[in-house]
Amino acid sequence: MKVISIIKKDLKTILSDKKALAIIIVMPLVLMTILSSALRGAFTTGGQSIDRINIAVVKQYDKDGDSRRFDKALRDGFLVKGIGEEAAAELRVTGDDVDPERIFLEDFLGSEDVAKIIAYRVEKEETAVEWLTSGEVSAVVLLPENFIYDMKINLLTPFRNKTDIKVLIHPDRSVSGQIVRSIVEAYSDSMTSVIIGKNVLIEAAVSHNLTEAGFTGMKEALDDITKAMEGIRVEMDAVKAEGRKPVRSSDYYAAAMAAMFILFASGYGGRMLLEEKENITYQRMIIAGTPKFGILAGKFFTVFLIALLQISIMIAFSYFVLKVQWGSAYPVVLISLCAAFAIAGIGSMLAAATYRAGNSKMADIFETVILQTMAILGGSFFPTDILPSIMQKLSFLSISGAVLKAYLKIMMGYGVQEIMSNIAALAAIGFLSAVLSVLILRENGGMRDAQYNKAKTVRT
Amino acid sequence: MLLKVENLHKNFGSTKAVDGISFEVSRGEVFGLLGPNGAGKSTTISIISTLILPTSGEVYYKGANILKEPNSVRRNLGVVPQDIALYPTLTGYENLRFWGNMYGLKGAELKKRINEVSEIIGLNGRLKDRVDKYSGGMKRRLNIGAALLHKPELLIMDEPTAGIDPQSRNHILDTVLELNRQGVTIIYTSHYMEEVEYLCSRICIMDQGRIIASGTQEELAELVKGKTRINLKLDRIDRDILQRLEAINGVARAELVQDEIVVSGENVDMILADIIGIIAEHGMRISSIDVSKPNLESVFLHLTGKALRD
Repeated sequence: MKVISIIKKDLKTILSDKKALAIIIVMPLVLMTILSSALRGAFTTGGQSIDRINIAVVKQYDKDGDSRRFDKALRDGFLVKGIGEEAAAELRVTGDDVDPERIFLEDFLGSEDVAKIIAYRVEKEETAVEWLTSGEVSAVVLLPENFIYDMKINLLTPFRNKTDIKVLIHPDRSVSGQIVRSIVEAYSDSMTSVIIGKNVLIEAAVSHNLTEAGFTGMKEALDDITKAMEGIRVEMDAVKAEGRKPVRSSDYYAAAMAAMFILFASGYGGRMLLEEKENITYQRMIIAGTPKFGILAGKFFTVFLIALLQISIMIAFSYFVLKVQWGSAYPVVLISLCAAFAIAGIGSMLAAATYRAGNSKMADIFETVILQTMAILGGSFFPTDILPSIMQKLSFLSISGAVLKAYLKIMMGYGVQEIMSNIAALAAIGFLSAVLSVLILRENGGMRDAQYNKAKTVRT
Repeated sequence: MLLKVENLHKNFGSTKAVDGISFEVSRGEVFGLLGPNGAGKSTTISIISTLILPTSGEVYYKGANILKEPNSVRRNLGVVPQDIALYPTLTGYENLRFWGNMYGLKGAELKKRINEVSEIIGLNGRLKDRVDKYSGGMKRRLNIGAALLHKPELLIMDEPTAGIDPQSRNHILDTVLELNRQGVTIIYTSHYMEEVEYLCSRICIMDQGRIIASGTQEELAELVKGKTRINLKLDRIDRDILQRLEAINGVARAELVQDEIVVSGENVDMILADIIGIIAEHGMRISSIDVSKPNLESVFLHLTGKALRD
């Protein structure tokens, strides 16, 4: 009964505090809206320096087989009928020099500019997908069957074969994946540029000792080649390795802001006991016979309810205003409860420590340093996959990171099983923090050490 | 005997906040703890309120040792802290309801007590307002009200009139007397001598953690019997006059304190005419005269050599 009275009183006190409401409710909604809009679509880093993105390239083609097939087509296939025997013979020679694999891997991915952003490894498809699933690479580029044959056809003949380069990205790494996609699209663009076609054409023309009239004819062929190169296109698949849908910027930042701003509830809760002590209301409650752990429990549940209220408002706002799809209700409720539980544990531990210390430095440090660090490491500001690798490795330290990852997985369509590790971590944090808060408060003879006179408290 | 304090000590590090005090409080009395800031009054109250444990000593409430059985006194104890221990963003009613809940009151009983208490403290028309909209005096009264909800037998009031206007102070003093008339035993601490004189039947004077005097007002006045003082401000001072004043029958002492002549002795106010006559003979003019009868201030001054509000 007393605990309920304390909770009701604390909730009323917080909800009548405009400054607190601005921080714990209004600010996340504003930030969520701004970040979602600002980073819509590209969902990129805005020029921020990032680590190189690891990708795997899979050769689904048989290089020798494709080359042989192309040679055969020039020798006695349909190509001879299309361009004539003499030209076909010349193109066979030129075709030996044109290597689409080298162009893609060395000239393009290995170029100075691209290599600054992307580090590639050629791997077998199975291994590449495995790495993608485990997060070791951010994307897999699949060079399709007949790639060499089709590219030679496109580059050297007036014919046009469709070439689909697939980019598989992991939903958790959607930002990196989109960067890879953009770069591969740039490859497609550059391949369609007139320069490459012209070079091929000139090489062929020179080797044929073509006359001016011949060039006129080849110009038409060049147009055809350029058109053919447009056939190279990159097909973007948000990896169906797990059959998940990617998250949009609004989805991401709705979850990110929720995960970050509930930490403020624990910071707020962290000051509650000390404020009660300084206002002598804590001592008054003790004199009234309120058990010390009853007061602590009141603070725990107050923070728990505040965090739940924050999450509920943020989910409702993002759902109705930003059209964020949070996924199945049951896991979202489960994550929210566990997140609020962890936050309540942290809040009460902080409250006990702050009370014991007799000043609010601890809560201040939590809000200004620990909370912000957790937010960064947890991906509340930027997705963790674009953070430096050392920071990515430290992200497990972040409560907001665990909350965010769990929400994102549910958004992507994962089941409860896939978020159990996050749920367990949050529950463990909440439980251990609550136990610690009791131990901290029990120390040094428990509660009967708080005089109600402020001056004396300072002297103590 | 309602409360008995025996040889109480409380040290904070090397500081002796309470240094071996003993006193008893009888049922139905208003017991005063008088002393300057830092005398140890609040520490003593914190121990009696079961908030802190003493370094040594015992406290008994109705014969039960409250250090071992704190709940024996908590149920019957109301404490009015020196500071306003309320929630400013809640209304007066919400504050009283919360503190009533803390004392285990609920439902109709709580509502009834809130009405009764708000009558006693004179705030029944303002309970719907937030406390941060109250004046200092109203906050003080609500602070008292929060300690009355559970009908305590023993009410400890720690400087309940600190920093408020005279009207609110008078209201609080009248409230204290009314509560006492209703049978509530009160321990009243203050460094305002006039309040303690007005309210308390028995008084303990504390200084530096010790009780330096205790008893009824009459018993304490005996300590400074014959210590009526006349403070005279003159336009000029001739030191020869001090000897002439001391020669008057009934004057125990005449001395120069800063720019005033202080004449003391048993009932020196009765021979004021003689004193003025001698001053006139010396051709000096009186700027002001202040006659001080023996009171707790002079007792404290007598015992410690310093004023209560130093």
